[in-house]
Amino acid sequence: MYRYDEFDHQLVAERVEQFRGQVERRVSGELSEDAFKPLRLMNGVYLQLHAYMLRVAIPYGTLSSRQLRKLAHIAREYDRGYGHFTTRQNIQYNWPALARIPDLLAELAEVEMHAIQTSGNCIRNVTSDQYAGAIADEIEDPRIISEIIRQWSTFHPEFSYLPRKFKIAVTGHAHDRAAIKLHDIGIVIVRNEAGEIGYEVHVGGGQGRTPFIAKKLSEFVPKGKLLAYLEAVMRVYNMLGRRDNSYKARIKILVHETGEEEMRKLVEAEFAQIDASKMLEVPQAEIDRITRYFEPPAFETLPAESAAFNKAQADDAGFAQWCRTNVVAHRQSGYSIVNISLKPIGGVPGDATDVQMEAIAELAEAYSFDELRVTHEQNLVLPHIRLDDLKAVYDRLVTHELATPNLGLISDAIACPGLDYCNLANARSIPLAQEISNRFADFDRQYDIGELKIKISGCINACGHHHVGHIGILGVDKKGTEFYQISLGGSADEHASLGDITGRAFTEDTIVDAIETLVETYVGLRHADERFIDTYRRVGLTPFKERLYAE
Amino acid sequence: MAQHSSKGARFQAVTANRLLDGEVVYLAADNSWTEVFSEAEIADGPEAGEALLARAVPDGFEKQVLEPYLFEAIEDENTGFRPVSVREIIRAKGPTVRLDLGKQARKQAQG
Amino acid sequence: MPNSKKLIIDGAESSDIWHFVDDETPLAEAPAIISLTRLHDEGAELVAAGKKLGVILRAGEKQGEDVHALKHFLDNLAVVAIEFPVYRNGRGYSTARILRGQMGFRGEIRAVGEVLFDQWHFMHRCGINAFEVDADVSLEAFNEAMGELSAAYQPAADPQRGILWRRHN
Repeated sequence: MYRYDEFDHQLVAERVEQFRGQVERRVSGELSEDAFKPLRLMNGVYLQLHAYMLRVAIPYGTLSSRQLRKLAHIAREYDRGYGHFTTRQNIQYNWPALARIPDLLAELAEVEMHAIQTSGNCIRNVTSDQYAGAIADEIEDPRIISEIIRQWSTFHPEFSYLPRKFKIAVTGHAHDRAAIKLHDIGIVIVRNEAGEIGYEVHVGGGQGRTPFIAKKLSEFVPKGKLLAYLEAVMRVYNMLGRRDNSYKARIKILVHETGEEEMRKLVEAEFAQIDASKMLEVPQAEIDRITRYFEPPAFETLPAESAAFNKAQADDAGFAQWCRTNVVAHRQSGYSIVNISLKPIGGVPGDATDVQMEAIAELAEAYSFDELRVTHEQNLVLPHIRLDDLKAVYDRLVTHELATPNLGLISDAIACPGLDYCNLANARSIPLAQEISNRFADFDRQYDIGELKIKISGCINACGHHHVGHIGILGVDKKGTEFYQISLGGSADEHASLGDITGRAFTEDTIVDAIETLVETYVGLRHADERFIDTYRRVGLTPFKERLYAE
Repeated sequence: MAQHSSKGARFQAVTANRLLDGEVVYLAADNSWTEVFSEAEIADGPEAGEALLARAVPDGFEKQVLEPYLFEAIEDENTGFRPVSVREIIRAKGPTVRLDLGKQARKQAQG
Repeated sequence: MPNSKKLIIDGAESSDIWHFVDDETPLAEAPAIISLTRLHDEGAELVAAGKKLGVILRAGEKQGEDVHALKHFLDNLAVVAIEFPVYRNGRGYSTARILRGQMGFRGEIRAVGEVLFDQWHFMHRCGINAFEVDADVSLEAFNEAMGELSAAYQPAADPQRGILWRRHN
């Protein structure tokens, strides 16, 4: 993975000192809250319900064991012993004191981490495929261009006061695990007919109050010209994006109001200027330098079958089951990709204690070439585990309650922090995830139901990505009481779709029964091998709606 | 977004977050900021509410607290008053999914 | 310029030779910064009369004034003021960058409006070389702000090439 050079270190260190100065001026009263707020947001510091919240960037979801240990240490020393992994591959701390945050950031800088631009109206963390570099049939490791985009977008002087936040995602695989069509800019690495690598660029996706699937603005931006194209998109957005209404300020609204064709023309015109200047063509030597950091690790040459692994599966049904749900085939013979579920039955989705983080760091160091990943679904990944080592890894995970065999199943629900933590929320979301998890705790039942992605948001901002849940749940506030609205048929992958609202919202008391009804309806209607989402796409909303609201 | 009181709210209190650590605090009778809701001054009637909010924002208030606002309270036979909205109830106690964190945990510890 | 403000040009405190004149007020001898509309209406006359030209571009909420509209006056403009109505409205950064970069403007680009410490560095990188700041701002503070980030990853309108390029020089 990428390692900082002197330039990277220097910029991060200077940023820490800059923020330290800003905090001092705020505390002394020299800086008003109004002037300080965008500055603290650009350093990832939110004010939430109970305390400040700090969002630490995990670029394209990749971490080393050293970094994860530092995150554990910070949870212990600056927070309440845990952190929360988010739907954009970052980590959040819920209880840091403002006065201590500069020191916290200085500690992060020691391990090449920061909280730069994880909030505010600027370009946020570039996210990517959690299986990058490990999965078969990848066109190119998307983290290379993600790192280049990260550097280009960091402290970008022209794009730090945008109309609204800006999120970029990259995938290098035909199966999109990075939800690129739901991003302000979504990039797919592709090959053209001549076999050359380039980028499909989608613009104007997003969830929130007005969800949109991104429009494909360019079929093929040649390698070497992507930064120029991105700069063109950003400039058009910065110039034309609305600033009169923060609910209409994202680029998705600009694309919608301007029209796809006109938007394309505007971007192409700007792109032509920037491209002609050649100023954003990154030198090949630099591309090569960054690429080297993402070369495959020193894999051993191993047979595809592992006798040890086969025996362990035969001997331990629990292990075998976990392998079926949480372990994915690796492109390298004899290796596998391990998914660590942070959704224990009845637990808080996406949270990990300092002790758990340290255990995972140990496993990454010992078994996964010192690397782990954060997914978009509040889980973690050990990307390169030898089949021979799987049992040892599993046993260790079991000790720390990190081996729940539920990847992609109904109890692997995403929930935003919701009204338990968040200043923007209208309803609580975590307790709902817990109740659903408990109701469907029986694993046999879960396996029978199969893949079913439930996503829960506590308000219209959709941080729980409910629009793209197979079952999406939106918490709303009606006269001081929490209600839950259901949508069906959303999907975040290459077949991206926004869910259909079923109708009347449910109360806290009836929502879990409603989920049961939906599950039963699916089970009753499904054909062989159909997942929930497949059945829904075949039969549509009506049968589900009828059952849900039958008196 | 801060939830302000509903129209016609009778009893109100003022809350904010402490600048240095973000802790939820309430304006007390002596104009100090207390961490405990039961020590919050309760204003009776809209004019008293406005007056209470005005006391929360003297010159330099930003050096102590952020974004003070009024919220609705209601009489409660056990504790005197309690917040009306779910949001303010949660702010007064802590996350409902982690009873070991926030003000609710400190109350336990104090017995 | 109001008394509460002062001007820093190219890193030094400067007195202002320009007057901001609204659309209704007749122009006097002193060099005037006028609106884009007025520039369109009277620009040709003013050029013919040998006047120095100055214009202010408004950022707007729904749409900003288009910097490309200055194309025909570029050689005669001595100063372009760019409005930052609130510091959060960052349209002006792109305006400055286009003006200094693509359009090749060599005159004074001045930031007016809400122009605060924590924005000066980025403004400067975008080609702004004149800052209308609060009168109590010291040059020391200004230089401190300029120096807070010693390098940059990406090119902009200032001379530095960007770390992504510099690594291989």
